[in-house]
Amino acid sequence: MAQILVVDDSSTVRNEVCDFLKANGLTVTAAVDGKDGLDKLRADPAIKLVVSDVNMPNMDGLTMAEKIRGELGNTTVNIIMLTTENSPSMKERGKAAGIKGWIVKPFSGAAVIATFKKLAV
Amino acid sequence: MTDAALVMSKVLILDDASEHFAQIKQFCEECRLLGIKPNVGSQGGVMAILRSNVDLGGILLYENYGGQAMGLTLAHAIHAARPELPIFLRRDTEASLTGLVGTDDGAFCAAFTMSDLESFKAVLESSIFSRVYPTDLVRGITEMTLSSLQTLFKTCTVEVEAPYLVKDQIIYGEVFSMIAIESNWCRGYMMLQTEEERMLDLLRHAAGADAEPLTFRDLNSVLGEATNLIWGSFKNRYVGFRDDMSGLTQTQVPIIINHQRRYISFGSVDPQLCLKYNLLPLDDPQAAPVPVFQRFVFNLSWSPDQFSENPSVEALVDSGELEMF
Repeated sequence: MAQILVVDDSSTVRNEVCDFLKANGLTVTAAVDGKDGLDKLRADPAIKLVVSDVNMPNMDGLTMAEKIRGELGNTTVNIIMLTTENSPSMKERGKAAGIKGWIVKPFSGAAVIATFKKLAV
Repeated sequence: MTDAALVMSKVLILDDASEHFAQIKQFCEECRLLGIKPNVGSQGGVMAILRSNVDLGGILLYENYGGQAMGLTLAHAIHAARPELPIFLRRDTEASLTGLVGTDDGAFCAAFTMSDLESFKAVLESSIFSRVYPTDLVRGITEMTLSSLQTLFKTCTVEVEAPYLVKDQIIYGEVFSMIAIESNWCRGYMMLQTEEERMLDLLRHAAGADAEPLTFRDLNSVLGEATNLIWGSFKNRYVGFRDDMSGLTQTQVPIIINHQRRYISFGSVDPQLCLKYNLLPLDDPQAAPVPVFQRFVFNLSWSPDQFSENPSVEALVDSGELEMF
């Protein structure tokens, strides 16, 4: 039962983020795109935080966030986007979907680990 | 005109008239040309250079290179193999392509003589240096790419060589990534090209002996993420969110990739902006640097007069920081 779901189509980023979170005592599972993320979240109700890329094949991160709130009816899981995108319109769309925060890549784990831990319990 | 201080181009010099060597060398320096000469002046030697990756902007060829009118024969072979490379023919008396014996002047971009190099400068500006790449753009691309590569290759120092313009359409190395660049002032592609085994060796070295065995798929992922980071930075800095993209005509042209010849064509003959980055392991300063070539091909749209840096870039949240909503 994972606390955090990391969703990114790049295995480089997935591995980097997962390894960092595991090294900091968190339990993590990973998904390769938005569709996979939805499936993993549906299968594991213990997930408290989703850290997701935006631009991914099959289903992007914002669409996944909207489906988490809509299709899955999950209004409690915290969602943070980890992306190279920085446009206000995308952030507004994220806010509307109930996203908690936004990180512009590259990932700097040390700066956010305390917040991640709070959001993952 | 391209920014004089920043961007140069490599040219292959096929001229064996030693009395003009110093003058040609000085001319190249004045024109931001890096001249390279083949060790072997035979047709085979020249074609060997063309088969290697030297990212050429053009060729300066003397009509009697290798013997009376031999340069013209060589020009045909070069033009057949690499039609994208402009060949500038040096003639003894007249800066004209008229009167060439037994050859088609379609192989040549222009003719010049040693007595009128000033006129030839103008020809170079309108061919090799025909594209404007604003200084701020080139500097910005360099900064963003260095930062992105440094993020991914933490155990390396990353250096960049002077930017240059190429007409070559040869793919370097064994693996390359490509991403569409879309904005209201430029449209085209960015490519990163590198060598698979050398890059994998670098990644294996960084991962350490206890790590899972790395394969080409791991390299694909790293190269893809480097491409993603650079494009993301580019977008935030130069495209941002102020652009109204809705009015763009989304034209596309086929991209041709010839695996056999390691050749890629975007349908445009405009000079491409090329940067070479070198990755050097921090703990092995004697190791040969692993090169990453970056090319920008703005083949679909190019309006540098509308280029500007996102004015709010300074106010953006720093990368890596969490912005809470």
